[in-house]
Amino acid sequence: MAASDSPSAAPILDVVGVTKRFGTFTAVDAVNFGVRDGEFFTLVGPSGSGKTTLLRMLVGMEKPTSGEIRLRGKVINDLPPNQRPTCMVFQSLALFPHLSVGKNVEFPLEIRGQSSGERRTRAWELLKLLHLDPHRYYDKNIAQCSGGERQRVALARALAYDPEILFFDEPLSALDARLRKLLQKELKDIQRGTKKTFCYVTHSLEEAMVMSDRVAILRAGGIEQIGRPDEIYASPKNAFVAEFMGEVNLLPVTGGGDSTGAWDTGRKTLALALPAPLAAGVQKKLLIRPESLRFLRPGEVAGNRVPVRILNEFSLGSRIQYHVEVAPGHTLTVERLREERTTATEAELGWELADSQLLDA
Amino acid sequence: MKTSAPVPAPSADASGSSLFGALAALPFGALMLFGFVAPLLCVVWFGFMPPKTFALLQAPTLANYVTIFQQTYFKSILWSLGLAGLTVVCLLVICYPLAFALAKIFRGGASFVTYAIATSLFVSENIRLFGWVIGFMKNGVVGGTLATLFDAQVDSLLYNIPVIVLGMVYVYLPFMLFPLALGIKMVPDQVREAAFDLGASRWQVFRKVDLPLSLPGVLIGSLLVFVLSAGAIAEAKILGGQKVVTIAADIESEFTYAQNWPLGSALSTLFIGLTTVVVFVALARFDLEKLLGKKRD
Amino acid sequence: MLVTRTQRIGFSLYAGLVLLVFYFPLLCIIVASLSKRRFFSFPYPSEQITFKWYQDALNSPQIAEFFGISLRIAGLTAFFSVLIGFFAALAYARYRWRGRQTFQRLVLLPLFFPQSVLGLALLMWFNFLHITPAWWTAVIGHTVWITPITTLIISIQAYGLDDALEEAARDLGASRWQILRKITLPLLLPGMISATCFAVLLSWGNFALSLFTTGADSALPEWLYARMTTGYQPLVPAVGVLSVLGAMLLVIVLFTVVAWNQRRTRRLTAAPE
Repeated sequence: MAASDSPSAAPILDVVGVTKRFGTFTAVDAVNFGVRDGEFFTLVGPSGSGKTTLLRMLVGMEKPTSGEIRLRGKVINDLPPNQRPTCMVFQSLALFPHLSVGKNVEFPLEIRGQSSGERRTRAWELLKLLHLDPHRYYDKNIAQCSGGERQRVALARALAYDPEILFFDEPLSALDARLRKLLQKELKDIQRGTKKTFCYVTHSLEEAMVMSDRVAILRAGGIEQIGRPDEIYASPKNAFVAEFMGEVNLLPVTGGGDSTGAWDTGRKTLALALPAPLAAGVQKKLLIRPESLRFLRPGEVAGNRVPVRILNEFSLGSRIQYHVEVAPGHTLTVERLREERTTATEAELGWELADSQLLDA
Repeated sequence: MKTSAPVPAPSADASGSSLFGALAALPFGALMLFGFVAPLLCVVWFGFMPPKTFALLQAPTLANYVTIFQQTYFKSILWSLGLAGLTVVCLLVICYPLAFALAKIFRGGASFVTYAIATSLFVSENIRLFGWVIGFMKNGVVGGTLATLFDAQVDSLLYNIPVIVLGMVYVYLPFMLFPLALGIKMVPDQVREAAFDLGASRWQVFRKVDLPLSLPGVLIGSLLVFVLSAGAIAEAKILGGQKVVTIAADIESEFTYAQNWPLGSALSTLFIGLTTVVVFVALARFDLEKLLGKKRD
Repeated sequence: MLVTRTQRIGFSLYAGLVLLVFYFPLLCIIVASLSKRRFFSFPYPSEQITFKWYQDALNSPQIAEFFGISLRIAGLTAFFSVLIGFFAALAYARYRWRGRQTFQRLVLLPLFFPQSVLGLALLMWFNFLHITPAWWTAVIGHTVWITPITTLIISIQAYGLDDALEEAARDLGASRWQILRKITLPLLLPGMISATCFAVLLSWGNFALSLFTTGADSALPEWLYARMTTGYQPLVPAVGVLSVLGAMLLVIVLFTVVAWNQRRTRRLTAAPE
């Protein structure tokens, strides 16, 4: 993340040691991070990681038990949501069902006491920006809008508030995959176009990777890693982050003092060459992506080789995924191109040292 | 809530909900304090005043309670509780199939039946009971019809105990039907289907699935009907003549004809105590909020 | 769910039977109210059908007064019980606060209470306070009994509301009061309308509470009761039918006003320029 630091990207939001406890349960544990002006920042975590609680504190619906939330250097811990210059798009979107599309968008302007003419002009602009023809949509009932249209109305309403930071509580999660992809792209475009700071929360790392400038990965109330999506993909900090990114192989290895390690599969112990030295007796996880594994032809050279039994194969379109067994109960996932398809039941599996990484468990 | 995480419900502190909740409950609380709690305390206190007096500030005495146990008031209490129990049983038998049909079988027809029955709630109980009088009296609609059709001479069918029960069953039917239908609606269809699929018979599904899962509805309905019919006064008077004196009628006559307010108060206190015990024992066993459908906190 | 044709027919027949028995007394009353003879006997020849009793009832200033009193009581009861019930429903279903669970348990208590005893208790309480019971004391009695019902009806609607709606309004800058006026109130309006209907109708037909709390004034159900227990009078069924018609009229008027109002506001919002 050091690479992306530049003086112009000053933090707009600073989260310093923020903690939230519910009774004895700590939902968010001393979290630190900063969101930079004009960036698309995403908090990712599985359910139970505390991301929703964190978000609710950032928008003012919960108060931190301790720590500070600073907006442009000013502590806003005690500021109620209606006095914060930030705004959120809710998971349920929270569109007001008794108001028309136009009136929903105008709501924050009406609260601010703008005249109906001004409000209407602004709502008209925003609907256009979000590809909703105002002639058709301004008077439309919320109930008559499709899922995608509602997303746009919710975004228009939030933009009408003209917030310094726009928060999102996984609003796209209820949509089908195709629409979600489309709206992800639109969201990114709007963020670039408006130059607003977006702070997005989701459980899908894939979604985060597509849209974000930077991503923070949460686990059990704490942040595991922050960085650009490609940084995180290239060098996950630990096994949790690696596993969260998708299907990966993580082999538990015990160090042998030099660049070798042992993988105890119960039945037999395999000696493996490691990409880095590991002190004797220390346990780590060896990360190998499924596409880095290959079936060796007789005589082929590889950094590591392991005999396996092929259990079954699944078609992923252009690629084929294999589940292979090293020892009973210890399986690996292999992904190869369709051209390299094998029908054997026994094979030798190999990978290069450079394609593997040692991670903390 | 929005998160599927095992996070407790968000606390109320940030939105100041706590203060507003108490504030919003205030008018209701004041109303109940003035119009419910205070009058009841008044009744309880009055029960300890010397008989046949109208002033509240005298030395307390147990004389009224002594009178109650010496005389035959326990009879009217037993009558009231007995009739109420009988009404509950009759209504359970009558309403369960109908409630089941409303919740699980009828589609458009369900709202028709619901409206048809709910509408009757708004017609004064007296008027509806009086309809039975016209139906059952000598030369009434029933008697007259039988006489014309079969030439049978029917005397008045009124003024007996079955008619009183009929009146109570009739008046309190909606109070049983709607909670029951709500309760049965909460039984998931798939659970019933799964039970059938696993080889249970119709009766077994009823016993093992429907009944236990709709129990909150059964309980609420029974409780409502029991309390309301135990305090009933009009049915026994309009349909029953003076055949049976219920406790509510006893209380009323102490206040009106006998002008013995302290005795009436003591009777009321006793009666309130009895019904409160029943209600609290039953209510302590389950959460009403579950019946309303949303499980939060 | 799998329901066979026979089952559906069987249950429908049963429902029909219950409804028939259920409406039998009302039919009896209508039949009786049209009979010319002073002592009702069934069947009577068609030439004896008359609207005389209705005329008598409508021309009677005394009965008009009972109608008036019942109407006043019902109107005020509905107003107070819906007003108080609205806030109580917020406390019941919307806000999280410390006493909430206790509050939820206690709200329904007056409903589980014999009305006649409650009426007597109020009578003594008013006596203690040196208040002479009159029609307006009955409003208090009715409100005590009906507010838990309106609270419950509005609560059911309030439960259905997404918490996020109020949060979103707050997030968009609205104050407590603005949220209440612009979001909560309009969204709970349907519940409040049905609560109003319930309150009007329950108050209109209520007898047990009125009996003890109206004092020298007398509501319609009381008058009917007094006549019923002293023997048959041909005026009673006619007034009974009129009372039912009155209740229906009240609800129709209420719904028309609401529908008209809604159409008006929709027209207003539809034409912003």
